[in-house]
Amino acid sequence: MTLLVESSDVLPLVDVEVGFPVGGLEDPRGKEGLLQLAAHLVRRGPRGVSQARFEDDLARLGARVSVEVSMRATRFRATVLRRNLEPLLDALANMIWNPALRRTDFSKLKRQAVAALLSRLDDDQTLGALHFRRALFRDHPYGRPLGGTRASLRSIGIDHVRRFAERTFGRSPFIVGIAGDVDEAEAARLVEAYMPPTKALPRGGRNVAPTRLARGRHVLIVDKPDRAQTQLFIGTLGVRTSDPKLFPLIVSNTAFGGTFSGPLMQQIRGVRGWSYGAYSRLLHSRQRDAWYMWTAPASEYSAECGALQLELMERWVALGITRSELSFAKGYLVNSHCFDRDTPSKRLEANIDVELLGVPRRYVEQHDTLVSRVTRRQAIDATQARIHPSDLTIVVVASASEVAPAFEALPGVRSVEVVPYDQT
Amino acid sequence: MASPAEWVGRLNRDVKARNARWTFVGDHRFGEALTLRRFRLGNGLTLLTLVDRSAPTISYHTWFRVGSRDERVGKTGLAHLFEHLMFNQTRSHAHGEFDRLMEQAGAEANAGTWTDWTYYYENAPKSALGRIIELEADRMANLVLKKPQVSSEKEVVANERKLRVEDDVEGKALEMLYATAFRRHPYRWPTIGWMDDIRGFSVADCREFYRRHYSPHKATVVIAGEFDERRALQLVQKHYGGVPGSRPKPRGPLPKEPPQRAERVLELKAPTPTEKVLIGYRVPGFSHPDTPALVLSSELLFGGRSSRLHRSFCIDHELALSVRGSVSPFVDPGLFEMWLFVRQGKRRADALALLDEELTRIGTERPSEGELEKASSQLELSFLHGMETAGGKAEQVGFYETVLGDGTAMFDRLDAYREVRVDDVQRVVQKYLRPSRRTRVEIVPDA
Repeated sequence: MTLLVESSDVLPLVDVEVGFPVGGLEDPRGKEGLLQLAAHLVRRGPRGVSQARFEDDLARLGARVSVEVSMRATRFRATVLRRNLEPLLDALANMIWNPALRRTDFSKLKRQAVAALLSRLDDDQTLGALHFRRALFRDHPYGRPLGGTRASLRSIGIDHVRRFAERTFGRSPFIVGIAGDVDEAEAARLVEAYMPPTKALPRGGRNVAPTRLARGRHVLIVDKPDRAQTQLFIGTLGVRTSDPKLFPLIVSNTAFGGTFSGPLMQQIRGVRGWSYGAYSRLLHSRQRDAWYMWTAPASEYSAECGALQLELMERWVALGITRSELSFAKGYLVNSHCFDRDTPSKRLEANIDVELLGVPRRYVEQHDTLVSRVTRRQAIDATQARIHPSDLTIVVVASASEVAPAFEALPGVRSVEVVPYDQT
Repeated sequence: MASPAEWVGRLNRDVKARNARWTFVGDHRFGEALTLRRFRLGNGLTLLTLVDRSAPTISYHTWFRVGSRDERVGKTGLAHLFEHLMFNQTRSHAHGEFDRLMEQAGAEANAGTWTDWTYYYENAPKSALGRIIELEADRMANLVLKKPQVSSEKEVVANERKLRVEDDVEGKALEMLYATAFRRHPYRWPTIGWMDDIRGFSVADCREFYRRHYSPHKATVVIAGEFDERRALQLVQKHYGGVPGSRPKPRGPLPKEPPQRAERVLELKAPTPTEKVLIGYRVPGFSHPDTPALVLSSELLFGGRSSRLHRSFCIDHELALSVRGSVSPFVDPGLFEMWLFVRQGKRRADALALLDEELTRIGTERPSEGELEKASSQLELSFLHGMETAGGKAEQVGFYETVLGDGTAMFDRLDAYREVRVDDVQRVVQKYLRPSRRTRVEIVPDA
């Protein structure tokens, strides 16, 4: 078994994580949301203990247990007062490897999952982000909603979930991480006492087909009535985790839209006051994930803001970053890196990502060197090789009648589609 | 090893200006292993230091005792606008330089404003302390307030308001709740301000506000993390010592809110898929002896999956997707806010009836000692989580110092939660959570 420990006696607190190398990409087509349902049903507690009693026991221990399903991994996380670590591990192991998976709990959970989908309609930024991924990746698994859709959830029954949970959590290898007020020997003893034996994690995990870039600029308007403000996402494909251009692109993107001082924020907010926030993000995964800009301009100048972003992006890709921008971005990334490791749980998380997601160990251990070595030429080449200003997905959550003509008129736009906000 | 009083003696040795002379006020234990030290500069600035070597980081907080309570009708949102303006040009640094220098040093700089306070913070690698002290002292005294800066930030704040209030059903409902629950006290207007007021601010308004509220007498600086205290004192003395110490004229007492005698109800139609209910019960200020019992009651009712209302609303009756509750941490009496996110196809009237039933049940059926133990353990867990980083510690110290006048009061508060008894919970629920003390906003999907 792989056990990772980050000891620190600063606070009488311990974080525990049990990670499985299985994520939402494993959901069968048409049954999106299956893994989330399975993981959350496991979270409802072990056999022989009612859900209510299980929650009471956890609360009394001063513990919180959550579950997170991402594209490639499922993580059960617990945090507990130091004095109750041992009973917490007992409860957590019992929950994961002896789950009740009750039919009554499942029915309630499914209704709750459908209600949660509906509640997302209240949050325009979340709505925009979901539509952006779906429009960018189209039928690729990266575009699938991890929580499923109303139709996919409807098609999932208790038997699917039981089988899936048994296969995923009952028999899969897993990793355990413990951070906080516990030393390695005690952590090893407790894990051995309460967790079942397991095989080593498979290297690399399940592969998926490469993501493909849609040619041209395409606008999707998510039509929501009475919007004073719009949520604007403009993006394209980014990089793979294993791409040698990853660090040069991280530096380049940081200089462009990763800080308050970069040209994106300064031009949109500093000079014009058009949006409360303006940033660009570079995501990376096994296959090329997304690169995107986000702003939230008022409806009356949303398209104008979009046009300025396109102009800034084109300039960034064509001319690259300056020497002083390079130096600034590298300084920011190296100096602020201490905040990725200032608590034991953050240090643990980075090491778990290495084991669970196959993030190269040198990214964690040699982060500052990898950043410092990036040259201006590498940053420019990486940006030009990976970021394509002519192939963009533009998603705007807005009242369509107020913005559609202006977005249609943006340079290079090939198509404009309007979808009602409550059609998911 | 020299004591803090001796450090201060040495630092004051060649300093003639009264504003720049240090006084060591005292120290207090901060948990098991740390010490919070209190110093005062001659110009009125309070400095609290908390050395914690668990990570190579520092957190630098500047808390001003100014918030939306210090505004007046027609000029609401000025305290919040300052949160933005303070990142602009000063007499020594051009527009954008503050952020650029901070980010170059690896610091994250931001700020927050609410009813009773405004705070500015930097979370940074320990090497950035000198730069932070210089820049923070500079903007406390040398901010440039001219038309271009004020106009641009007014537009940003107008956009922020659209984002957080006008297009956000929860933000809009909260604004309605406070505007209705309070009739005289400044808590009735939103911290971000009314849109017309934001649009109408002049440069003169901003200059007057800065002069009146941004002085050392109204500020507390908190430094937490890995740093050399003596060096920090020396740098603070150097950079803040020249800031004038004019003591602002205290404003008169704020209008007292008359007692509420009947429930107030409003309806909000919004493009939202489901009904929601937001309720605010009038409760005393944060320093009141009943507040710990109210906070514990909130935990017992709303804290996590084993809480009474989560279980009743979300699991047993499936009336709501989620429920939320919190007691406002205000200097003056505020609200115990409750949110019921009603599920599609369910009625808000049924949700309200269930809430009343549950609140009555606390009065008639005593909560068990086990329930109290759960709530107390969960509050302890939240408290420890809040203390994980230098930033978390500095924020707690700054908040308790500004609201309760004691930067270590969070430990007393934690003890107070542990001392709450079942009778206390029953008493405060019966006393404060009565329909006649509440204001309710019912959110209805706009067809």
